Formats: sequence, structure tokens, C-alpha cells
Amino acid sequence: MSAKPARETGLRQSMAWIHTWLGLLAGWILFAMFLTGTASYFRPEITRWMQPEIELQSASPERAAQTAIAHMQATHPQDEQWTIYLPDERTVGTRIFTRARENPDPKAPKPPRTPEIRLDPATGKTVAARETRGGEHFYRFHFQLQIPHPWGRWLAGLCAIFMLAAIVSGVITHKRIFADFFTLRWRKGQRSWLDAHNVSAVLALPFHAMITYTGLITLMLMYMPWPIAANYAEPSAFTAEAYGRDEESEASGRPAPLTDIAPLLRAATREWHGGAPARITVRNPNDAAATITVARDSADTLNARGQSIIYSGVTGARLSASAPPGPAIETAGVMLGLHLGHFARPFLRWAYFLLGLAGTAMVGTGLMLWTAKRGKPGALPFFGYRLVQRLNIGAIACLPAGMAAFLLANRLIPAALPGRQDMEVAAMFWVWFGLAAASLIRPVRRAWIETLTIAATLCAAVPVVNAVTTDRGLMRSIMTGDGLFVAFDIVMLASAALLGFTAWQAARRPASLPSNRRPPAPIAATAREVADAA
Amino acid sequence: MAARASTALVGGYAAASGLAALLARLLPVARVEATGWALILSFLFYAVIGLWCFHEPRLSRVAGLVWGLAAFSIAAAMLLGVRP
Repeated sequence: MSAKPARETGLRQSMAWIHTWLGLLAGWILFAMFLTGTASYFRPEITRWMQPEIELQSASPERAAQTAIAHMQATHPQDEQWTIYLPDERTVGTRIFTRARENPDPKAPKPPRTPEIRLDPATGKTVAARETRGGEHFYRFHFQLQIPHPWGRWLAGLCAIFMLAAIVSGVITHKRIFADFFTLRWRKGQRSWLDAHNVSAVLALPFHAMITYTGLITLMLMYMPWPIAANYAEPSAFTAEAYGRDEESEASGRPAPLTDIAPLLRAATREWHGGAPARITVRNPNDAAATITVARDSADTLNARGQSIIYSGVTGARLSASAPPGPAIETAGVMLGLHLGHFARPFLRWAYFLLGLAGTAMVGTGLMLWTAKRGKPGALPFFGYRLVQRLNIGAIACLPAGMAAFLLANRLIPAALPGRQDMEVAAMFWVWFGLAAASLIRPVRRAWIETLTIAATLCAAVPVVNAVTTDRGLMRSIMTGDGLFVAFDIVMLASAALLGFTAWQAARRPASLPSNRRPPAPIAATAREVADAA
Repeated sequence: MAARASTALVGGYAAASGLAALLARLLPVARVEATGWALILSFLFYAVIGLWCFHEPRLSRVAGLVWGLAAFSIAAAMLLGVRP
């Protein structure tokens, strides 16, 4: 950072300058966060695609809860706590996590964590499927960036606040926000990148602002613990007051049979005026002090911090329920819900997906604009310029290739191979960074064309490999009306088409830059130029 | 420029934290609600303070105001102590 902000200039000039720097410094990570976050709107669907051997019939929540509890009674009756996630229309199978009772002897080793149990909700039989991180991988990467805890989250948060500041400064920079909405001049070099950046930014501006701010809200307790410290001696006191206390009741030691779950679910649904249960927590099962907490599905409320009711696990009596939140806690919960989009039905979920792609395009075109403005025809480009060019290729073309490789690895690594889920993740990063590194030996324009072509090919290969390695290829999916698998193949083909089109455009663009370019300007002057142009 | 950028990044965070803590402590509503509003608004404080650091041309004013605001608000929040 050598250049100073333009001295004695207006708000728009200073904001244009900082907008450029914010976008440049955080742009590549933001591009990856936007793209993997966009994919995460289909997190359960990606997981289902990545375990093609599972084809389950749906069952009512009551039936799923009963088969789950029967299974746990048979296998883990003495555990301290069972957490049962009921299936819904997006997730097949009941997922159960169980926690063994700790040995009262403090010197005894901690009981090993039991892996997730997956059941067929109709029969209660365990479901065997290939090990995979599924959609969870993109989702975790979106805010943890595959960096050890807590640094990945801090870096993601830093990029998010850069994004927020870039949105505010971008809006201030913009003079003709409405007119630019309708302006897209193709094939005019820098002018086209500016138009594309403006269109993708302005078209979905409310979404970008919302998703950035609510993204910060998702981890606000970590990023901003100070308001809590000002009011509470213990941070847990705040979460208890805001979101309800987690019942950590102790076992009495007297055995008592566990009550039937079905009437409790019916009572909870009645109390929520039809709201569906999503999670059941059974604490101290088969003990006289047993409790059953039923938590509401956040899919039918805007507030992602769902309500819950606690019942006695022996008599079934209602013991307590989470207090209705006040306006601030409700606002934060709704902001979280808006970010996660769990409430979105298919139409709105696809809207989220497309808006997320618009955000990805906004970041990508912004990065391209930076280089388009600074290319000097004929002159040897300075180091920063070449660095940005290469990082742009690494993010924009190589990340989609890596994501496609993750999906391909899922189909190509033998389903029974131990440790295969880590290999899938490794495949993504090897292809992503490997391709970026390999492209360094090629001239920039060739590198763009080739990496984009490879990314397009990998995306197009996904439906093909899927059809070859499973019996759930596109043709059969269409015949059987398997909407998820049909949509997945279509999205992969559309991604391949988009990447291929981009590669074709990169190949078509004349090697020399447009002749009407102004002479290269120092950054401060360039900032003014952005403002003028905008 | 390094001074300006670190003032925006670190000083801006400190000032936003202090302001949010003070707001949470002093807002005359239930403490859980006051904490909630302060949490929600803190990121807006940070973004606006950070951007202003690059708008104001005089570095001395930027550093003085941001670090002063941070010191004042954090000190005030600490003097007030945890809400009883």
C-alpha cells in the first residue's frame, strides 16, 4: 500500500479508492466463499447425490422418532444423551448422535465418540453408504476455509467485513445506480468488465448487502464478544437468556421406563400451531430424571433459532419451553435464518442459488476489472499486476475445477475404501491448487483458456461418470422422476456450458487491448477515473 | 499508509467493540436485548469507522479520533463494569 488516498477530494473519490483495495485484498477468498456458499444452499441435496446407494422411502416424523428410539434402546440404552435428527423432505434417513456416560472415576479415559448413526426411518435398520463429507464439505469450507480452528473463521470474518465495507463504498462510488442497471456493453475491454461488475452488483444489491451482513451475524458471538462481556460475567449466561438453557440435568440413578415419544411430538406440534419437530434430545434415558427436548424445525420459520419444549422422559409432562425472544434476539435470529435460507422452499432456494451466483460474478468481474484497467499495451507489466492476473486464474477458473474434482472423486474412489472421505477433499485441493500452479508456465491468455476448458470438461464429466459408475444416470433419473439427480446433472452441464463459453470468449478476445485506452494512471488518479466512469 | 490501514483495521475494531460494549451496557432495555442490538450494530460501526479512516485526508485526525474513541469507549465500559 504505497499510494495515498487522493488528497482533498470528495467522498466518492476516496470511496472508489478504498473500494478497489478492499475488493482486491479480499477478492479471491470472497470468490471462493461466494461460490461454495452458493453450492451450500443445496447442502442436503449434495450429500444425497454423494451417497447414491441410499434410496429410502420417507416416513412420518412420529414413525422416524419411534424407530430411532427403538434402535437406541436396543443398542445404547445406558448412554447419557441421544440427539436424534428427524428426516425431512430434503434429508433422507434419521441421523443420531449419542454420548456415552462418563466414567465417574476422573482418571478413567474418556469414552470414545460414537460415530453418527444413520437409520432408515421406516424400518429402523442402519443404513450403510460410502463415507463422504457430502455437502457438508462446501458448507464448512465456506466459513472455515479449510484452515485450523479458529483461524479460518477469523479470516472468513475479516473478508466478510471487507465485503461489507466494499459494498458501502461501492454504493457511494456509484453515481448512476439506476441507469447502469440497464447498461452492459459487450466486448469493449475494461468498459465491459465495469458494466458486468455494475450489473451483477446492482441487480442483486439487496441480496449482497443482506448476505454479507447476516454472514457476520452467523458468527457474531465469536467476532464480537464485547457487548456480552459488558453485561454478563459469563458468556454462557447470555446464550442461556437469549436462546434457552440446555438442560444438563443429572441422572437420579433410579431406573424408570422411557415414555412413548409419539404423544410428545403431537403435543409439540399442537403448541407450535402445526410447526414440525426437527430434533429430539433424550437426556438420561431410562432414568427417573430423564428429559426429552423437542426442537422445532426452522424450515417453517424465518427465525433460524427455533423454539424447543422440554418434557419429562418418564411421565411425558411438559416441564418448560424456550421463552419467546425479544425484538433484538428475534432480529438476530431472523438474520441468521435469512443467511442460511433453511426456510426457502424450492423456488426461493433456486432464487438464493442464482443470487449467490450473481454475487460470485460480482466478485469475479471486480477482480477482472482491476487487471483490465491496468494493462499497459506493449509495456512489461509490473509484479503486482502479474500476481493479480495469476491469482484471478487460480480463483475464478481453478476453483470450479477443484469443486468438480471433489464430485468426480466421490464416484471414482471405491465406495468401500477406508479413509475415502479425506481423499475426496484432497482431490478438490490438489486439482484446484495444482491446476493453478501448472497454469503458471503458460502465458496468461493461454492459461485462462486452458484452465477454463479443463474446468468445463471436469464439470461435464460429472454426469457422465455418474451414469457409468451408478445406476442413477440422467436417462434413468428422468424415467423414474428422480428430480434431485436430474437437477444435479443439469446444473453440472450448465456449469460446463458457462465455463466453456467463458473459455471461448477468452479465446476470441483480441490479444491486444483496445486502442482507446487512456495512458496508465497512478492509483489515486485511477480512483477518480472509476468515479467518473461510474 | 500502514498507519492508516492499521488504524482502520485494528483501531476500527477496537472502537467498534468499545462502542458496542457501551451501547449494550447503557441501552435502557433488558440486558439480553441491549446485548442483541449491540451485537447486530457492531459490524456497521466497524465498517463505517474503517471507511472513514480512508476518507479523512489528515492521518493525525484519523489516528487521534479512532484510537481516542476506542480508548474512551473501552475505558468507560470497563469503569461501568458488568451490568448488575
